[in-house]
Amino acid sequence: MKEIVVASGKGGVGKTTVAASLAVFLNSQGAKVFTADADVDAPDLLLTLGGGRTVLSIEVEASRKAEVDDRKCTGCGKCLNACPFGAMVEASDGKATVVALMCEGCGVCGLICPAGAIEVKKAQTGVITVEETRYGFMCATGKLRLGEHNSGHLVASIRNIARRKAQDMGSDVIVIDAAPGIGCPVIASITGADYVIAVTEPTPAAKRNLERLSSVVRHFGVPAGVVINMSGYSGDFEIALKEWVKRELGFQVLGEVPVDHEVVKALVHMMPVVSFNPDAEASRSLMSIAERVRREVL
Amino acid sequence: MRALRKKNIGTPVIAVTGGKGGTGKSTVAVNLAAGLSSSGLRVMLVDVDVDGPSCAMLLGVELGAGEEVKTFLPVINEKKCVGCRKCVEVCPEHALIGLQGETPRLFEELCSGCRACQIVCEHLAVEESGKTIGTIYTKSSDGITLIVGELRPTEPRSPLMARATVLRAMSELKNGGYDLAIFDTSPGVHNAVAQPLWVSDRALAVTEPTPLGVHDLRFVLDLAKEIGLPVEIILNKADIPGGLKDELLTTARERGVRIIAEIPFDREVLHSYMVGAPAVKKAPESLAGRALKYLVSSVDKMLKGGEI
Repeated sequence: MKEIVVASGKGGVGKTTVAASLAVFLNSQGAKVFTADADVDAPDLLLTLGGGRTVLSIEVEASRKAEVDDRKCTGCGKCLNACPFGAMVEASDGKATVVALMCEGCGVCGLICPAGAIEVKKAQTGVITVEETRYGFMCATGKLRLGEHNSGHLVASIRNIARRKAQDMGSDVIVIDAAPGIGCPVIASITGADYVIAVTEPTPAAKRNLERLSSVVRHFGVPAGVVINMSGYSGDFEIALKEWVKRELGFQVLGEVPVDHEVVKALVHMMPVVSFNPDAEASRSLMSIAERVRREVL
Repeated sequence: MRALRKKNIGTPVIAVTGGKGGTGKSTVAVNLAAGLSSSGLRVMLVDVDVDGPSCAMLLGVELGAGEEVKTFLPVINEKKCVGCRKCVEVCPEHALIGLQGETPRLFEELCSGCRACQIVCEHLAVEESGKTIGTIYTKSSDGITLIVGELRPTEPRSPLMARATVLRAMSELKNGGYDLAIFDTSPGVHNAVAQPLWVSDRALAVTEPTPLGVHDLRFVLDLAKEIGLPVEIILNKADIPGGLKDELLTTARERGVRIIAEIPFDREVLHSYMVGAPAVKKAPESLAGRALKYLVSSVDKMLKGGEI
């Protein structure tokens, strides 16, 4: 079983479009497909593939958070200075309180507190579900509370659940839709995967972020190919970008997906463009990219 | 007890955020900065999208040399270490391993720099060295002071880098001399986004009229509510064919949030994006250029009216 991760340094360049199209295409070619949404802050893969029956629902410990005992806190302020994330702040009564959104649960506040007023506790748990999509294959996705997001730990849980379930079902491939960026959740998506599809667009900002993503991908030793989305409007820049990807990054260009109104329409209808309109120019490109990935990775 | 948001500075701070990636956060941020700077305000623009900063490129600014940001990294002094394993037990990242009586070994990649090991060591055996997690660049150009935080690739801890960038900006703002600071955030609703929002007076959430844009915007509105931050919506690519403008209007109304600007889809924006010149300057009379100028004057009015 192979794990293919769709990632991008910059957000909004088309990860979900590529991931959904790849999954639908591979499925149509007879491969046993499983999908996982590792972008827990903007979990859009299941929306695009169309969720249905929930086949599995597992509660996971999403994070740990510090908690201050008001009765014990003396308001000395030591924890405010010690917290590496600035999550300990002064409350209106002068005592310390935790901004849960910024707490990573390291527990330094508790160690430094002379009054023993702080404890790190298991926070609200989240639920990871596996749902059957309208195409029949499965999608693992996280349903989480605010502030329980973006941790590599959580992405690892989603991947583990997906892997276990996919193995049970005898799947050939797991398509993982990663978060944008290069931080912890992206690293957790990439490590140990079989292939990374790095999606980019022909703009200087996206190129720079592709370069940053490529150093992460290389560091973890995962083979990768590049998809240039929204192709066709930047002329020379795009030609130079393709050369640069091959020469400087050492990655193959899997293909280009042209700017196409059908992609926007498909987005609005919450469908992968390859099934919304298989004859659209963008769909044909996405399918030939998917075919290339199938030949080379599966 | 409710947490207090305190910034200890007088300068108004606006965060440009938005949940989904690629909705136009940085485009809005650089155009606001360029437009307000042209109208005579002293503007600081802070790129806190540490995973993928792009403001410098969109302004056509070369950043030059930056300053490395280091976090704490423990070095265990073998002569002082008694092998009690307290540091091993307390490390939340399991970055230290070792048997009783041994000097623990450090797995540098796992260390978050929290200092828990140093705090618990009674023998002062945990000494300090630094780990570079990224770089902060500062550059003044065209009347704008630009501060950019950039996470070092392979380093996973975006929130620490975002925090370092925010703290740098805040300490610069304390010296005075600015009328406004604009913070451009990462996509998402995680800790690295919460860091700049926490010190902001107002958030502008940039979204697009697609189901995913509406879906992800809701997370941002929840986040702003959670930390008690006033928020307004900017609708970008407002006129894309088949767009769900009505659904966005409904969401905004239900949440009691105003939509303060609608920016049409316009190839001129794309062009200005490519060449590194904000549309308010490069194409002020284009459709999007005019919408962005209108946004600039709205924010200017909010500032002058003391609303921010």
